Amino acid sequence: MTSIAPVAALPEAVVSTGPAAPDTKKPAKGGLVTTAIVAVVALVWIAPLALLVVTAVRPLSDFISTGPLAWPKDFTLSNFADAWRIGNFASTYRNSLILVLLKVPLGVLISAMLAFALAKLRIRFGRVIMFSVFLGLTIPIYITIVPIFIMLRTAGATDSLIGLMGPYLAFGIPFEVLVLQSFFRQVPDEIIEAAKIDGANSWRIFFTIMLPLSAPALVTVGILDAVSTWNELLFALILLNSDNSKTIPVGLLNFQGQFANNNTGLAAGILIAVVPILIAYTLLQRYIVGGLTAGATKG
Amino acid sequence: MTGNAFTRRGFLGLSASAAAAFGLAACTGTGGASTQNSAPATKDMRMFTYEGDETIGLLKTQVKNWDATADMTTTVDSLPGSGAAQYPDKLRTELLGGKGPDLWRIWGGQIGSPFATAKQAADLAPYYEKFGWGDRINENAVAGMTFDGVKSGVPFLVAAVGAWTNQELFAKAKIDNPPTSYAELEEANDRLLAAGITPLGTGGKYGWHIMRLFEYLLESTAGPELHDKLLVGAESWDRPEVVEAFTRFKKWQDKKWIPEGALGLDPSDIEPAFVQGKTAYTIAGTWVEAAFIVPSKKPASDFSTFLLPTDQSVVRHSGFVEGYMINANSGNKDKAAELIDFIVKPETQKALQNTSSTVTGAEPEKSKLPLSAEWAEINKTSPFYTIQDQAFPKKQADQYFTVQSDILQGKITPAESAKQMQEIISAWVQK
Amino acid sequence: MTALTTALARTEPVAWRKPKRHGGLSAWLFAVPALAVYVVFLVYPALTSLWFSFTDWDGLSPTYNVVGLDNYAAVVQDPVVATAAKNNLVWTVVTLTVPVVMGLALAILLNGKVRGKPILRLIFYTPAVLPLVSIASIWGWLYNPQYGAINEFLRLIGLDALAQPWLGQDSTALAAVMVPAIWLRTGFPMLLYLAALQGIPKELYEAATVDGATRWQQFLFVTMPSLKPAHYIVIALSLIDSFKVFDLIYAMTYGGPGTTTQVMGTWMYANVFQYYNAGYGTAIAVVITVVAIVVSIPYVLSQTREHSR
Repeated sequence: MTSIAPVAALPEAVVSTGPAAPDTKKPAKGGLVTTAIVAVVALVWIAPLALLVVTAVRPLSDFISTGPLAWPKDFTLSNFADAWRIGNFASTYRNSLILVLLKVPLGVLISAMLAFALAKLRIRFGRVIMFSVFLGLTIPIYITIVPIFIMLRTAGATDSLIGLMGPYLAFGIPFEVLVLQSFFRQVPDEIIEAAKIDGANSWRIFFTIMLPLSAPALVTVGILDAVSTWNELLFALILLNSDNSKTIPVGLLNFQGQFANNNTGLAAGILIAVVPILIAYTLLQRYIVGGLTAGATKG
Repeated sequence: MTGNAFTRRGFLGLSASAAAAFGLAACTGTGGASTQNSAPATKDMRMFTYEGDETIGLLKTQVKNWDATADMTTTVDSLPGSGAAQYPDKLRTELLGGKGPDLWRIWGGQIGSPFATAKQAADLAPYYEKFGWGDRINENAVAGMTFDGVKSGVPFLVAAVGAWTNQELFAKAKIDNPPTSYAELEEANDRLLAAGITPLGTGGKYGWHIMRLFEYLLESTAGPELHDKLLVGAESWDRPEVVEAFTRFKKWQDKKWIPEGALGLDPSDIEPAFVQGKTAYTIAGTWVEAAFIVPSKKPASDFSTFLLPTDQSVVRHSGFVEGYMINANSGNKDKAAELIDFIVKPETQKALQNTSSTVTGAEPEKSKLPLSAEWAEINKTSPFYTIQDQAFPKKQADQYFTVQSDILQGKITPAESAKQMQEIISAWVQK
Repeated sequence: MTALTTALARTEPVAWRKPKRHGGLSAWLFAVPALAVYVVFLVYPALTSLWFSFTDWDGLSPTYNVVGLDNYAAVVQDPVVATAAKNNLVWTVVTLTVPVVMGLALAILLNGKVRGKPILRLIFYTPAVLPLVSIASIWGWLYNPQYGAINEFLRLIGLDALAQPWLGQDSTALAAVMVPAIWLRTGFPMLLYLAALQGIPKELYEAATVDGATRWQQFLFVTMPSLKPAHYIVIALSLIDSFKVFDLIYAMTYGGPGTTTQVMGTWMYANVFQYYNAGYGTAIAVVITVVAIVVSIPYVLSQTREHSR
């Protein structure tokens, strides 16, 4: 019924380093045809992004005087230096990093604990809790902004990264709990029973069996959570005021003007903002691929 | 969030906590104004604005200069963007949360109006008297920040909207002089089109950009007096002048005097199209020079600007104001007013590089912004009417934009458009 | 860990479990941190706001009146709500099925004999990482009726007649926003399915081949059933995502032309924040949530039923 053996085994292709490493075990012909098809789709897929990159490397004067779709007459890298200054990246990078590094592990941990209680500990009112957690996905953030602002003002936590933690954790919990409890349910009860017979309590089972077994799942959820934390705008916008405490998405607003946007600076700023996420994703995608498998092996 | 939460007891608890959380008088509409009490005066103030990257430094420097003379520490926070962007939401949340800034920048008309109506902005009449602002500041502009007879804001910027042209394309179409009548403008459009040039660059996303065309057409068919009455709902929109304006509006599209698919174009993309030579002109304000012409590094002589001809004895243009409001609950109202007084001094306005100041003596320099300087002259003889998206509340403005969208798509006739406008405006006025 | 999992895999599954009493105090110790944060920062603020749906609060004034169910009555009569509800439905169906099907197809292709998988996976996932502001600009430029790449391409291949002002007319605007939505959201199901495919034992395919199954039959009778748990998660999360649509439409069309592309989320936002009808806007939000509750019932039941089996 349940097998998690294939979970831990990373697919061999995932660990290969890149397109340059040919898969010698397979006949090249079939691979080439599929590769060609997928490559064409991928080109179409990536094409809109080319606009972003081109915009980032042309002077603003060229962009304004010839329009976004004309091929640039001129190329420059100075947009990146300008964007670094205008977007105040020196401090927004620091703030976003601190937030992600604090928020994501903590959020994943408490979500995993709740998911464990739901999936394995037969908590009372489990169904009610599941329902309310699911509902959290559907509640529009906009509705909760004013009460949260008042709450944090009373606590003196506006304009600080710590103040953002509460709402960020809360709005991350539903997704994380739902995915993780689905993973946890795949772990056979027999292991837990066996551990119990050996005298392990729930905490020990959680930390020494559930978490290690689900490490790929935890990494997966963590990465998805990191992406949404990195890009979150609304709470950060409303709760942060001073330049020193702003996060990257708020900093990107500095490229807006009342009448005109600094589009080339913005494009460069966006590239600066997403590159770390893309690098992290590239490095960690083996865990994503390995990780999500766990939720899907029940067959 | 289970079924239990919806029981009556839960409900009462909720309403109580809601009222408590918001510090509101529970349930009924009484006792609002009387409960307002100001915080004690302090040496710290906070100012909230939406200056962009180019001007925020100038503002901070000036505020610092004032701080030194007034023995105050003023923090300037900025959230750049347009009126449709995030700034009003954030300001509103901070005010509701009781941690609002002591003074803030805001657009006039219906964007600023809710803050005055909700009594979040202080009545500035005493300060107008104390500092003599009424004599120094453009009186039309002051009207744009006066709500229900209460002077709730101090305008420092009055933007004038007119035509901005690409001279090369006008020359190519053999148009030597700016049109002086509506008929000449139509003729110019035809010539431009014949030369293969899209005349007016305008975009319908958000509604307010293409609106600048319609309000101009309405000013030309209805004339100043009727137009003003229409804007406040004092006269019915269901009348020949309005139908004629809508007929002309549709004509601009049918004749292809505006770009193909204009309704879906983003103003920030299409407004600078005249700088790129893709359209012959646009309808915009003096910001165009600082925002597009100067950064494009093309010489100012490649461009020109003129007042749109309305065929009326007094040729008016569309305009809007921006100014500062003071927090009604601030303990530093006097200091905030002093700071505003400092800001609206001509020297400060010049230092802030405000190209369309409400005070005289801060006109843009001909050498730096020659076209904006022309508007300082035009403003002396041409009064302005309130730009329509500031004349109507946002909801009515959006309904009005739907009418514009429907008529341009041929879903309704000009006569039906006029009728629908009357329904929208009368529903608002009755309220 | 590998040793452990291998050992686990050999553990004989037990077909039934004896019914057990609830987990007791220890279960709550696990649940409390997350639940506390969740209740304080999400449930409580949401419920506080719920109250305003029974008032005429403008969202800024110090006072308001209780109006009972008037706002809800108004929701029912509002023609824009009707448009928005219809758009939400169309939007949900399309932006749920297309990305999920495409994601599955890509996953299967990428699971085959393809080179450069990490790069391809990166490409298909990248749109999901971009800030929304860039997506709205990029696609706005692409859709430009005169100069945009999409119409240029149609003219290039001789389909001039198909070139449209995509975002500028009622008939195509919603569809035009769905395309970037699909672009954005295919990466997520692709990853999930790709992962799930790694977990299907090769023996199943070998057995099917021995039985003479065609590739299509293998897909239908081996792949699809094995992906069932993945389907659950992908569909549930994509459904909620589609249902909550707000930002993309707000950024790309602002609900226009007119009110053609309004959805419940944008209309709620317009009322709460821009029209100063906080009471009415909150009522719309409550309606959104209630519909979501109803839709989520089967999913939650299926999850908890398996759980208590």
